[in-house]
Parts: sequence; structure tokens; C-alpha cells
Amino acid sequence: MFSHVTVAIYFVYVCLGLIGLGIALLFYMKIKHLKMLKMKEHYRLKHQDYFKFIQSHLHENSELPVPPGKLAPLERRVIQDKLAELIEQFKGELRNRLVELCERAGFVKDEMDQLESLFFGRRVEAAYRLGNMRAHEAVPRLLQMLRKQKYSPLTIILGRAIAKAAKQEDQLKEMLTLMLRHGKPIHNLAADVLLETDLDSSKLLLQFLEDGNPDFVKVALVAMWGQAVPEVIPALDKLVGAEEKDVRAEAVKLYLSSNPVLKDETIKQLMSDNNWEVRAAIAKSLGSLHAAGSIPLLRNAMRDENWWVRNNSAESLAKLGETGFEILCETALRGSGVERETALFHIEKVMSEGADHHAVDQMVSFNKKRLLYDRYFGVTERKPVRKVAAVGGDYSA
Amino acid sequence: MPNTATLQTGIQENLYQHIEDWVKAAKQKVCGVLFLYSANGPAHLEAQVRGILESQPDLSFEVWSNEEGILAVIMPGLTLDAVHFEGLLLKQRLQETLPDLDPRITLASFPEQGEPTESVLKQMAESAKRSVTGDIHIFSKEEVKAARSRILIVDNDATIREFLQIRLQMQGYETYEAEDGLSALEMIEKLKPDMVLTELNLYGIDGLPYINHIQNMNVSKSPKIVVLTEQKVEQTISQCFQSGVEDYITKPFSPVELDARIRRCFN
Amino acid sequence: MEGIILLRDILLIYGLFAIYYVMTVNALYFAVLAFSFKNIMNIFRRSAYSKYNTLSGSELVPAVSLLVPAYNEEVTVIENVKCLLTLNYPNYEVIVINDGSKDDTLGVLVKEFELEKMANPEMRNSIDCQAITGVYHNPKYPHLFVIDKPNGGKADSLNAGINLSHYPLISSIDADSLLEKDALIRMARQYMENPEETVAIGGDVRIANGCLIENGQVKDFSLPNKMWPMFQAIEYLKAFLGGRIGWSSINGLIIVSGAFGLFRKDYVIAVGGYRGGYPGEDMNIIIKLHRYMLENKLRYRIAFCPEAVCWTQAPDTYHILSNQRKRWGRGNLKNMIENYDMAFNPKYKVMGLLTMPYNIIFEALNPYFKLTGLLALAGYVALDMTQWKILVVFGLINFLSGYLFSIGALLLEELAFKRFTKISDLFKMLFYGAFKFFGYSQLGTLWRIQGHIQYLQNNNSWGAMTRQSWKEKSETPSSA
Repeated sequence: MFSHVTVAIYFVYVCLGLIGLGIALLFYMKIKHLKMLKMKEHYRLKHQDYFKFIQSHLHENSELPVPPGKLAPLERRVIQDKLAELIEQFKGELRNRLVELCERAGFVKDEMDQLESLFFGRRVEAAYRLGNMRAHEAVPRLLQMLRKQKYSPLTIILGRAIAKAAKQEDQLKEMLTLMLRHGKPIHNLAADVLLETDLDSSKLLLQFLEDGNPDFVKVALVAMWGQAVPEVIPALDKLVGAEEKDVRAEAVKLYLSSNPVLKDETIKQLMSDNNWEVRAAIAKSLGSLHAAGSIPLLRNAMRDENWWVRNNSAESLAKLGETGFEILCETALRGSGVERETALFHIEKVMSEGADHHAVDQMVSFNKKRLLYDRYFGVTERKPVRKVAAVGGDYSA
Repeated sequence: MPNTATLQTGIQENLYQHIEDWVKAAKQKVCGVLFLYSANGPAHLEAQVRGILESQPDLSFEVWSNEEGILAVIMPGLTLDAVHFEGLLLKQRLQETLPDLDPRITLASFPEQGEPTESVLKQMAESAKRSVTGDIHIFSKEEVKAARSRILIVDNDATIREFLQIRLQMQGYETYEAEDGLSALEMIEKLKPDMVLTELNLYGIDGLPYINHIQNMNVSKSPKIVVLTEQKVEQTISQCFQSGVEDYITKPFSPVELDARIRRCFN
Repeated sequence: MEGIILLRDILLIYGLFAIYYVMTVNALYFAVLAFSFKNIMNIFRRSAYSKYNTLSGSELVPAVSLLVPAYNEEVTVIENVKCLLTLNYPNYEVIVINDGSKDDTLGVLVKEFELEKMANPEMRNSIDCQAITGVYHNPKYPHLFVIDKPNGGKADSLNAGINLSHYPLISSIDADSLLEKDALIRMARQYMENPEETVAIGGDVRIANGCLIENGQVKDFSLPNKMWPMFQAIEYLKAFLGGRIGWSSINGLIIVSGAFGLFRKDYVIAVGGYRGGYPGEDMNIIIKLHRYMLENKLRYRIAFCPEAVCWTQAPDTYHILSNQRKRWGRGNLKNMIENYDMAFNPKYKVMGLLTMPYNIIFEALNPYFKLTGLLALAGYVALDMTQWKILVVFGLINFLSGYLFSIGALLLEELAFKRFTKISDLFKMLFYGAFKFFGYSQLGTLWRIQGHIQYLQNNNSWGAMTRQSWKEKSETPSSA
């Protein structure tokens, strides 16, 4: 009978052994780590004067001195970390001086050696550090690492290191290709990585915008967010009609952010796009365009199935003077369901915000709206009462 | 008065602040201020000065001193020429009674020479202390302008705080630091800095309400606010400018550009 | 006589079965732990070598709506909302849902943030939920909304929050927990690495009892001083680091803690939102997401982000703790019964073949096997005292394998996060890790069974839960 228990007893022994091993390992790691922290703190204090000196002589023309004395490996690391921290905060000439200091102090070479280490972890760490030190000589090797790396968070870490260190546009382009080759829609993250570069990004982005690869186009579109320069407009013009809906939406958003003059035809076409992001974007921009034909379009858009489209339309109507506001009141009074909800919300918003206008012209326009409001809802007797939410509702996200 | 002793030490520790407050409270149209310093001044110097001034008819004045041996004489109602005259008189009388004394005097009348803020007053006292000739020095408006502006640096990151402190001190600013929003607000109330150079992502309070809080603070002159932050969202930036922020700089930043922008804010 | 021998044999066979059951459970635990170890260095690297300075201020990061259901939280809610408003994140809103609190939760919020009732708040009726009584807002705090509604439970509150939320990602957060400043951006980074397939991400929940907290920042990390939170600190470490890292690496995560999780709103709406009426809505939503994605043959992942940390106050009295555990037991059983069809169904892949069977056989039924096994062996030994060793072996297996798992979790912590800074903390963890098996584990089993009984009795109350202010606690961190 006992033979059945034998396995169990072995199990117990194995557990006991592993527990012993685990505890020993835990203490070893903890003590080692604490010792290292203590040493680091010690070195930090030791070199405090050096750090102060570097920071106060950053702007002078003379060469920054390398750290004094013979340094232990951990000591070098502490200094490198501090310099890297400063590099991360700065841009411009002063940063280049720190970068050059890291190079002269041999920190870049240290990490370049680590890049050939047998341990994967060391190589990744070295890549990260080289990126921080903007070590362009490491870029070819980093690109090689990125080529071998299968898609994981480390892909982004390597990509970022390359973006920081690269001195040539080709390298950036290759990095982007390698990052995007896995087919994941990581355009936003890729754009963030790309913008870490020191190179002139606007020129590069313009190039990407005209690239045949739709992924590049998307990265460029999101990276340009809110900073559409006049040079990109021709390229955007083409993209606004793009087949792929993400590209089209991003292009339209960017295009509209440059406050272009739109033809009624274009407005109409965009307003009936099947992608809600496009409709929402055009609805939003109509508020500041003052195009004549836009009011009826916005009125219709308040029945859109998407909340953002409805909301932006109402917001734009509220901006379009008394005529727009009157449409809102009209909708709130006679409309039904979602459009009524949206209209009510924006009317109240205008009314509650209006009270703090200081400038005379704002005051005048607000009072005109108030008059409209009173006409539609009366001062006391017909305050807009919220009805029970419409059945069915909105199932868009 | 039971509080005289504590009051006295309070003045000693914070002479310039005290003067600033006193002048404000006095609500006089003009007010003369004179600082006197003497390297080898005897212990009873203050009493001597008081005696000399008391012998003048119709002169109202206050005399205070601090532990550095700086004597401050406040003469409400006196314009610059009157203060200068009093200064000459005082110097003459002092040298009559104490022939060894080598008094150094800097004087000014406010608002003719600007705002009697703590930092200006401090600079006046310093100039009295450092003056090489025995001539009475009239503190000029130009000097007032150069009076060290005080900047409060607020950032959660110690590296940034250290760097900005070093850098701004080298430019001649007086710097203070706070690491979170709440202690920053406390310090602004206490120190009344001329400028707050701040991150928006802080512990303790959300960025926009924090900016509004500074603007609506119960201080005579709310500080200029320069934001130095990682936050690059357009909406936030425009909201900051709407709430009266002087300048908005995003990280990573160029220290050279930062210097220029801060200087521009003060001019 | 023969009857007794037969009985003895039956008892022994059942007892041996129980022993092997326990060994199998633990072997599975270790397999999961092995997956955790396999991933831990990558987790360490991605958190150590990613800087958030560019992301945390960038328009490129997706906007998030934080949903904070609050029920009777007047003591802590202000501090927590203030802390949530200072996250290192570019674009987000905080929606507090006052779930018909009996205390003045709404009142203190309105007073502190000078909120005003919005005249016509726009609620989207994406998910069914109780009608709300009002939405409060102050333009000075543009990112804060407070929903007031009659009491309807946590799930209903979350649904109401979803209906008001404006952004494509939602994050549910308990009103009694404290997010680290970087927690949300860390999660968002993970989301951005694979935005199409990621439907939910869970955060790491840690016990804040004993830590010094100031201005919403954990200033000094130390272990709890009281016994009950200490046990839970180990439990959480085991569950989150040992278990969830492993499960998430094979996409078999069955729960994203209700205390802190990030979701894609479109999918949450697609599965009909949170289920009300029962506790365990956090596990329920994840099961539903798995089911939806698998049934529609969509590629997806439910990820775990251990570097995104949320600190929570652990119950520190027997009464509250036992209530919480009974509630968990109840919710768990409900979820298993509702979704038993997924178990052993190859259509549901890892979920159907591993996670669900594991949770039913080795989690939900665990107490019964252990208990009956113990009784059988005890009976067997009672009939034949010479066989006492087998009882010892049973006990040892339970104890040692459990302890080994704790040590595994501690090693994971040490490899990637190193949050304990004192050697004494390590001793304390090791001691409590062992001590847990003499009383606390047994209580845990008991609570779970009690929870099951409550389920069968249809008892569905939430049970007692009291709150303590972070401040009070941080001022007296050493009162044991």
C-alpha cells in the first residue's frame, strides 16, 4: 500500500529542496541588491561636486571635463545614469555637449561592448543606454537586433533607441519598416517613437506622407497631429480621397485642422462619408468655417447614429451665431429622441457658459441668444424638461 | 508689551519683510528708507542714531536692525531729497560723536525708486554693506530693476530641480524649490516669488486648478507663471494660456531658450 | 470485521485520490508559475527600459474614461478623486458614480469641487442601467464628472458610467484604491503595442496597509503590521505575480481585478456591459469577453500589466475579511455555473480546455476535495493507528507545495520589481508565508464553502465594508 505514497513522499522531498534553494536565492539577491543600492548612493554623493560642475559649466565653450580619477565599473554606471538623465531632459546644443562627454568618457564604448554580450538581457540594456546617449555608431548593430527580434515590447525599446541615436533618415526609415513589418496597427506608438529623433522630422514626415506604404502614411498622419504645415496640404488633398478608411479619417482630420477653404461640394461629400470619424471631424470644423451651406447639413447630422458626430454638430451650430442657435432651440423643441437630447445639452451649455463673457461683443451675441432661448422655452413656464431616455439608444462606442 | 521681545527677534530675523509690510501698512504717499552699516560700529549705535533723529523736530521715523549689523531707518512722508538731507545730517552727527565710525549709507524714497519689495530692500542693504567709498549712495531705479527676482521651481523630478536651481542662480535669480503642488502653493503664499516655474504633472493637485489657484491667491501681486512640462496636448496648452500663464515650454527643453524666455517674462 | 476492512480500504483509496488531487493542483500551479518565470524578465525590461516622458504628454495616447463607483465613501472619496485627477496621463476623464450612498458621498464631492448639476447631461443609452438622478460638473475641473443614481450595485454603476463616458477606453477603479501616477500610462503603453487585439488589461493590486501615503503618493513602502492584511499581502503577491503573469501569457486570464482594469469600450458594450445582481462582476465581464471574441472568431488578448500598480486597503478585521471572501466565493460559483458550457469545449480554446476546467475542478471544488480527503485519511488512520504517516504526508504536501509557490512569487517580485527594501520584510514575508498554512488557509477554505452555501440559499447581500481614510492610516502606520 505504501508504494502509492512513495510518489507523494518524493514530491515532499523535491518541494523541501526547492524551498531551501529558493530561500537561499532570495536572500542572496536581496543582499546583493541592497549592497548595490548603497554603493550607488555612495558614488552619487562622491561625485556630487562633479555633477554640479558639469551643470554650471554646460554653456561654456571649453570642453567639459571627464569624471576625475580611476573609476570602478559601478561608479561609471552611476555617472552615466546621471548624464543620461540630463540628456533626456534637454535638447539643442547643450545636449550635444553632454552626448559628446559620454563619448569621450568612454561610456559609449562600454555599452558598445555590452551589445556583443552573450546574455540577451545585457544586450537589451546596452541598447537602451546607447539610445539614451544618442550613440549613432550603435545604430547599424541596433537595426540588426531589431531585425532578429520577434514582436514584443522589446521591439519598441529597440526602435526607440534607434530613433534617438540615428543620424540618417534611411536608418529611421528602416527602423520604422522593421517595427511595422509585424502587421500590428501600432501607428500611434510608432509615431511617438519616430518623434524622438533629432533630425528634422517635418521633412521626413512629408516624405512618408507620399510613400507608397500605407503604414508609413498613417504614421506620418498621426505624427503630424495638430501641426499641419502648408507644405503638406497637396499631399493631404490626395489622401482625403483615400480608399482605406483609417488613412482617410486621419487625413481629413489633419487637413481640417489647417483651416482650409472648403467647397460646398467637398463638405457635403465628407458629411456623408461612411466613416464616423470623418463625419465628426467635418462637423467639428464647420463651426469655425462659417460656410453658408453648412447649417442644414449640421441640422441633419444631429440625427447621426454616432454620438461624436451629433455632439460636434450641435457644438458647431452653437458657434454659428443666432441662426445656428435657433436651429438648436428648434430641434430641442420639436425634435425627438437623440437629436433632442443633444440639442438640449448644448443649449444649456451655451446658457451656463454665457454668463461669464466679459467682452462687449460676446455679451451682445450672448444676449441675443438668450432672447431666442426665452422665446422658445419661456422664462419660467416652459423650461426644457428632460424626457425619459429614448428607447433603443445609441450602441456606438 | 509682552510681545516686544519676540517681535524684536522677529524683526531681526526678517528685517526686509518687516519693512515691506510696515511700509504697506503705513499707507503713506511716499516713504524714505535708509540703510546704515558700519564695520566697526559700537553696540549702542542704534541708540545713538535714535537719539540724533529724535532731536529733529517734526520727524517721524522707525529704526530697526538685524544681526548682521544692518540698521534700517524708515521715514514716512519723506521724498528723496528730504531723505538725502537726513542722511547727510545723520552721518555728520554720528561722526561728531563717534570719530572712529565709518558709516556706509544707502538710501531711497519709494515709490520714486520703485516698489519697496523684500528683495529690493535686501539689495539696498547689501549695497550699503559693500560700498567702498564713504559717500552716501542713492539707490537708483536701474538697480531696483536688477534686484534679484525670485523664482520658485516646482517639479517632481529632483534632477530637473537641481539643474534649474544651478542654472537660474547663475543668472542672478534667487531660487526656491518645491516638489509637489500643495507645498508649492504654501510656498507661494509665504515667499511671494516673482515667478513660478512649474511642471503641470504634480502630486497633490491637478494642473489646471493648480494654475487657477495661484492666480486667485490672496497675495498683493500674483506671480508670473511659466510652465515647463511634458504635457503636449494642445487643449491643455490653450487652457493654460487662457488662465493667464505667461509662457509654456515643453520638455525636453533647450536651456538656452528657457533662459531667454524667462528673461523676456521679466522685461 | 470485514466491513471495517472494506471501509478502511475505501477511505484509503479516497485519501490517496485526494493526495494525488492536491499534487495535480500544485503541479498545475507550478506550470503556471513556470510561465510567469518565463515572462518575468521581459516584464522587467519593458518596465525598466521604457520611459513614459514622451507618452505621458502626447496626443498619440488614446483617451481614457476612469469609472469610479462609490458607495458610502464619504471619508475617502475626496482624497481618491484628487489623486485620480493627478495621474501622469495626457487625456482622460474621471467619472465618479455615487451608487445611492446612504452617507454624504455626493455632498462632500459637490462641496469640495464646487460642482453643479448639469441641466441636460447627455447620457448615451448604450447599456441598460437604472435611470440616473443627475450629473454634476464644474468647468474648473473639466475632467471630473459625478453621476448620482439610486442604489443598484457596482455593476449597474459601472454601466451608468459607461453611458456617460466620452472616450474609447474605460478603466474601472475601486473608490478605495490608489493608483500610482504612472499606472495608467503603463497600461496604455501595453495597449498601444497591440491596440487591435487587446480587449482588456488588468493591473497589479497591492496591499497599502502599513505604507506611508502622502498626497496620493506611496512615500514609504513597508509591509502591513496587522496579521490579516499581512496574510492578504502574500495572497495577492501569489495570485498576481505567480498566477496572473502565467495565465496571461497563454491568454487564459479569467479575471481582471475590479480594483484596476482597462477595457475597450466597444467590446464591453458588445457583450452587454457588466452584469448586475451578483458579486464577481469583474470575473464575469472577462468571461463574457472571452466568449464573445472566441464565438466571433476574433483575434484577441486579455493582458496583465504587473508594472501598473494600484494600492488597496485590505480589510483588517476578521468580520470584514470573512464577508469579502464569502462574497468572492459566491460570485465565483455563480460565474462557474453560468458558464459551465465553456469547460472542455474545444471551441473555446485555452479558455475552454484549460482555464475553465481548472477553475471549476481545482478552484471552486478545491475545498471539498481537500476537506473530504482529510476526513477520509483521518478516518483511515483512526481505524489503523500504524498508518499515521500518511496523514503527515498529506499535510506536508499541502503545506510545502503552497509554501514553495509563495517563494516562487517572492522570487518573481525580487527579479522584476524589488519593492521590499528591507531584509526584515523578507523575513516577515517568509514567516507569514509559512504561518498562513496554520489556520488562515483553513479559514479561507471555510469562507469559500460558506460563500457557496450563501449562493445556494440565495443570500445576496454585499456584507459589511468600512472605509478608513488614507490620511488616518498614514499618520499611524505603526499602530499594530
